[in-house]
Amino acid sequence: MKSTDVIEIAEPRMTLGDQFFLPQVLVGLGTTMKHMLRVWTGTDRVIQYPEERREDIPVVEGGMHRRSYRGVHRLNRDEEGRVKCVACFMCATACPAHCIHIEADESPWEDREKYPAKFDIDELRCIYCGMCEEACPVDAIELTSLYDIVGLTRQEMVFDKSKLLRVYDETQEVEPI
Amino acid sequence: MLDWIQANIPPWLPLLLVVHLVVLVTVAYLILLERKSASWMQDRLGPNRVGPYGLLQPLADGLKFFLKEDYRARSVDKVLFTLAPVIMIVVIIISIAVIPWGGIKGTTQTVDITNLWRDGHSLRAAVDTQAKTISADLPRFHELISDVTVQTVPAGAGLDSYPGQPTVVLELGNDLDPVPAIDLASGQRLYATFTTGWRFQIANLNIGVLFILATLSLAVYGVVIGGWASNNKYSFLGGLRATANMISYEVPMGLAIVTIVLMFGTLDLNQIVEKQAHYWGGWLPAWNVFAHPVTFLLFLVCIHAEANRAPFDTAEAEQELVGGYHTEYSSMRFALFFMAEYAGMVTTSALMVALFLGGWHFPGLGGPDAVNPAVTDSLSLCILRAVVYFAKTIFVLFLFMWVRWTLPRFRFDQILALAWRGLIPIALAILLSTALTIYFFGSSSAQFVSLRRLDGWMALVMFGVNVVVLGIVMYASTLLPIGPSINRRVRIPGSRYNTAALPKAPAAMPAAGSASS
Repeated sequence: MKSTDVIEIAEPRMTLGDQFFLPQVLVGLGTTMKHMLRVWTGTDRVIQYPEERREDIPVVEGGMHRRSYRGVHRLNRDEEGRVKCVACFMCATACPAHCIHIEADESPWEDREKYPAKFDIDELRCIYCGMCEEACPVDAIELTSLYDIVGLTRQEMVFDKSKLLRVYDETQEVEPI
Repeated sequence: MLDWIQANIPPWLPLLLVVHLVVLVTVAYLILLERKSASWMQDRLGPNRVGPYGLLQPLADGLKFFLKEDYRARSVDKVLFTLAPVIMIVVIIISIAVIPWGGIKGTTQTVDITNLWRDGHSLRAAVDTQAKTISADLPRFHELISDVTVQTVPAGAGLDSYPGQPTVVLELGNDLDPVPAIDLASGQRLYATFTTGWRFQIANLNIGVLFILATLSLAVYGVVIGGWASNNKYSFLGGLRATANMISYEVPMGLAIVTIVLMFGTLDLNQIVEKQAHYWGGWLPAWNVFAHPVTFLLFLVCIHAEANRAPFDTAEAEQELVGGYHTEYSSMRFALFFMAEYAGMVTTSALMVALFLGGWHFPGLGGPDAVNPAVTDSLSLCILRAVVYFAKTIFVLFLFMWVRWTLPRFRFDQILALAWRGLIPIALAILLSTALTIYFFGSSSAQFVSLRRLDGWMALVMFGVNVVVLGIVMYASTLLPIGPSINRRVRIPGSRYNTAALPKAPAAMPAAGSASS
């Protein structure tokens, strides 16, 4: 370690205003007033959530970047409308939260060997890291930009294959594969 | 109908209902204002879902409090636990009674008492007889409310054109004052000036300032008893801190008030406001804040501490004491504590408005009488004054919130150091310098001698003295010895920091300091 690697930091000297405390209090009050005026004049950046949504705002103005947002999963379909997944278990292996449960079966179609007979994702366990998406060799599983999913029971939040395919059906317009 | 009301209902009764209703609604909306201003300062919008702009939020909050479980742990002291919030809210609501909302609704009249005096009465007897005659004619609930000013007027001169000083001022019902003998030259007349009417105030106490101080310091019992009865060490510590806070800040607060009382020579809030209701230099309202800016600041800091609010809110420091004295409280019991805190803020703010911000006075709101501007014959002017008073109070309350969301909390020892090493010396120095100013300048000011009001010149002197004294005290404070180091290990017998052996059981406990030496 060289002597230049060490940076000596001295405590900043107090100015006269700091020592008398009251001037600095006034400065602080000025700062909060500035923020208050920002809200009063409507130049704040508050998004009124249920009415205004980040999806509808341009990215440069603080909106959501749909392509990189990691929300609810979907299972993509191929051109013939079949599930794209080949049940290779790469996603389930990559998943750090162990929330993907796949049961593979022999594929009814000619062009692949396996397909998922069952494909469950526990959305409550999922940490939305996107590792499944990274791992998938056929781009079958993807994370959409949907984030406001609710359910009345825990069981309801375990998405099965049909539900994941339905997420694809509903999001393919705005988010193509 | 109006006649019946005037004849049968004392004026303080509707006032009491209106004021308490307004104060309670204000308290509810203060909580909304607190949340709103907190959000504004943090670039948020705050509650805006219940009603337009969230204006119905207090209603929702209240409903929530009513529906919450009223939980009481088994180990609490049942009686005191229930009593604590009750003490606090009752005491604080009582203290609002003496706030002088709108001056005096009444008339000032001048009557000739020369004949009464000639009939062989003494001056006191003549005035008292005249007062009896006048009060017999007064409508019910109206009373003689001012002292009696007696003037001699030379022969031939009308009272209006005679600008003379009052010859003598008699306090109503005070028979102890010696009355100077008056020699009337021939043709001279003797006039007495009375004011009759009623005060726009719930309770007319001539010791209003003292009353508010007394009741507000009772409020800390609510905190202490609540902390003690909760049987919880955090609550208990919160109560202790509130006590230490109160004891420390009551002193500079009292000294600041004494400074004002010293100038005006009265504890009656009505009169304190009245003496501020004129102008310096023809345009600057004679509010104490302009003559006593440093005292004003002292008082402002003290009422922040007194209300247990940030930056002095160690009694309920969430991070250290998980809520402090109200940790164990829920439902309406907690709501009472909460309301009491805000109602206490209303009272102290109103007191500050009366003492420093001219009360109801605002350019254009004075009555027709220059000597006693509080007196007005118009009820609507009284109501307008009350509105102005209230607006000023709201401004001070907003200041509370503004400060709360700006400043971080002081450490406990810093709070006490600020009081004992900072505020109390300044307050004492200002009190002394004010007394000296009055002693040296008071007798040379005609307005101060006759009406005990500050004139412009004296106010300027007061202002200068304030600033100079503040500078001197601040310089002197750098010469003070440095206090003991904080966070040092205190050697308490039996403590893990104490390496000395414990004393034998039957022996008396040694003092904390001597155990280790």
